[in-house]
Amino acid sequence: MTRLKYLRRTALLGLAAIIGALALVACSDDAQQQQVADAGDVPSATLAAVEERGELLCGVKQTQPLFGFREEDGSVVGFDIEFCKAIAAAVGDDIDVRYIDASDAATRFTLLASAQIDVLIRTTTITASRDADLKVDFAQTTFFTGQGFAVHADSGISSTADMNGATICVQTGTTTEQNLADHFTDLGYSYTPLGGTSPEIQEAFLQRRCDVFTADQSDLASRVSNFDNPANYRVLGQIISKEPLAPGVRDNDSEWKDVVNWVVHGLIAAEEMGITSGNVGAMAANPPNTTVARLLGVAFEGGEVANLGFGVDPQFIQRAIAAVGNYGEIYARTVGDAVPRACTLNALAIDDSVDCPAGTGGIQYAMPYR
Amino acid sequence: MAELPQPAEARPPGRVVLPPHRERARRPFADRARDWARHNLFPSRGGTLLTLISFALLVLLLCGVIWYVFFGADWSVVSSNRWLLFAGSFPRDEEWRLWVGVAVVFFMIGVAYGLWSRFNRRDLLFVAIASAFLIFLMAHGGAAAWSSIWFLVALALMFGGYVVAVRIPRDNSRLRVRANRIGIALIALALPIVLLILMVGGGAVSTDFDGFVLNVILAPVGIVGGLVVAIPLAIGRASSLRIISWTCTAYIELVRGAPLLGWLFVALFILDDVIGGSLVVRTMVVLAVFTGAYMAEYIRGGLQALHHGQDEAARAVGLSRRQTLQLIIMPQALRVSIPPLVGQAISIWKDTSLVSVILPMRELKGNADSAIAQTEFIADRIEAYVFVAVIFWIVAFTMSRISQRVERAQGVGER
Repeated sequence: MTRLKYLRRTALLGLAAIIGALALVACSDDAQQQQVADAGDVPSATLAAVEERGELLCGVKQTQPLFGFREEDGSVVGFDIEFCKAIAAAVGDDIDVRYIDASDAATRFTLLASAQIDVLIRTTTITASRDADLKVDFAQTTFFTGQGFAVHADSGISSTADMNGATICVQTGTTTEQNLADHFTDLGYSYTPLGGTSPEIQEAFLQRRCDVFTADQSDLASRVSNFDNPANYRVLGQIISKEPLAPGVRDNDSEWKDVVNWVVHGLIAAEEMGITSGNVGAMAANPPNTTVARLLGVAFEGGEVANLGFGVDPQFIQRAIAAVGNYGEIYARTVGDAVPRACTLNALAIDDSVDCPAGTGGIQYAMPYR
Repeated sequence: MAELPQPAEARPPGRVVLPPHRERARRPFADRARDWARHNLFPSRGGTLLTLISFALLVLLLCGVIWYVFFGADWSVVSSNRWLLFAGSFPRDEEWRLWVGVAVVFFMIGVAYGLWSRFNRRDLLFVAIASAFLIFLMAHGGAAAWSSIWFLVALALMFGGYVVAVRIPRDNSRLRVRANRIGIALIALALPIVLLILMVGGGAVSTDFDGFVLNVILAPVGIVGGLVVAIPLAIGRASSLRIISWTCTAYIELVRGAPLLGWLFVALFILDDVIGGSLVVRTMVVLAVFTGAYMAEYIRGGLQALHHGQDEAARAVGLSRRQTLQLIIMPQALRVSIPPLVGQAISIWKDTSLVSVILPMRELKGNADSAIAQTEFIADRIEAYVFVAVIFWIVAFTMSRISQRVERAQGVGER
């Protein structure tokens, strides 16, 4: 080996070592900074981050009919999306919403845990295991639904009692699948599951490769009403599971969770009190009673403004109502007739006048705001 | 194809003797057609049966496709959602930027064809059919006259660039050399130019890239960035210095050993802490790193295909190591590697649809998923996916045709 070659080899080795060392230093440096940042973040890191950024990062689904999808002009719309807007408005008038796509069910909780989103609003069911394992806290439920069934109108099936031996289309790898198995075990019935993704099982159902199509009842209703001949299909009134859909926030940030929670309650309370996006200004200027005054964060007949201390100013619910309207307005605008509200469990605050199967009365009501 | 029977014996005396293929072309068309059909379609009883069966199947298939396209399918899911599929959340007021970008790309394709190749009849047919298809979509359902006009302007620019470039003589003149250089520079700079058009002066930000626009921005970065990563890796892997060859080998084996989906996870959750920056940039880095590992191996194959005499001869005439690599080795190695490199390029083009599977970004296929969540189109998902497939195919096929031209121009497979 020539001397020159030897020298060059040594130099290269040295260079590699130096680069390695530098990389190591840079990494450990990063880690230290990270720790410092985490330590200083105890009183609502998320709320502070949203205010500083001027933007709420809202993790939403973009492929769910009615709840989170996209319009022809590219905008993100739906029932869940309205709550993103409400929360942003509650934090401040100058806060914009940026929709982060959380359509993928598998990564949604990791997006939240890694702080790439501030709040997750994408038809996510509250379950104990998610609360315990996935670094997520759930706020007030925005939509109560349950697992239901759609059948062909001429099949003569009117409940799971008629489904012994039936072929049932069910989305693979979901709680829906587990609920179905549990229910049929309890009944002592047998059935043939036909699995797949939700577009696949929808197609299978349309082609009569299965007798029954099971999913969240609100999802079924919105799909069936848009099939080519909706009269040929029927969504049964029976529900075999509870699917409360709620916004999720990061674990251990209770102040931020409080804000999200009370925005939802506030919008429901507004409907109960008759406050709408149209009259909220007038109501705030001249509140009819103390309850309304407290909800809107204004003084009643020369009294004091009640500040309940949410880390945002007392008018936050008023701003949310002004931005998107009350719960009923949101429901009418996004879900509307596709899933009649009285047929879901969200109807307590309104008249139950639509003809729907018995036992579907509402359970949605606001906690007292005082 | 086997040789046709020679009709040359019956040639009248005193006629000019033509080469056999010219001689055949002189016979009446009906004769030629009959000969061709007998030879190719009905050579034997079994062959005839096969021909009839395949013909019947083809007709059936064609009728099925035509019926589906014109009568069975409801394309309104696509025509209503063309903006969502094309650009999604790209700011609507800045739409002109997209069309200028399209025009620039089309112009460059035209110039490249004019400089180094020719449009033949099949190319023109393909352009015509693809354009008719796209204009039909844009015009379907009305209110899109402007998009069609923009598209036609881009097409006109493509042919304009072609007509100008094709007039440059194909010799070794100074004009030609300069034109070649400008052409190469334009293509190398195409992506930065388009990005500048889209973003500079209050245009889009990286999170606005959406739909088809996101695909056509990510794929070239993956391909060009991959090449940039791959060439040093390929040379490094062949290095006699162990530390270099080991490092390069380790890189290649590590990156190739995990699926792209896994590396996209890395872009989403790990690179976020390491390099930060926007997710689009992180995804670009991952695509380049991933493609680079594959391309390095293809280029190494090209390097190994060269006879070591090339290297020795270059050294013998006194070229330095760098000159040898730059002037003798790499040009030949790259030329040999064109087919697998293009295969990888097409593959990464299709893989861009993976970003909306797990990343919070929506490309063409992801936006098709969103379109069929609109309640009025819940029943039309097959149409949406067929459209997405056709768009992916058009781009992939264009890439494949251009690469065939490059191969032919470079004489791959002839030397």
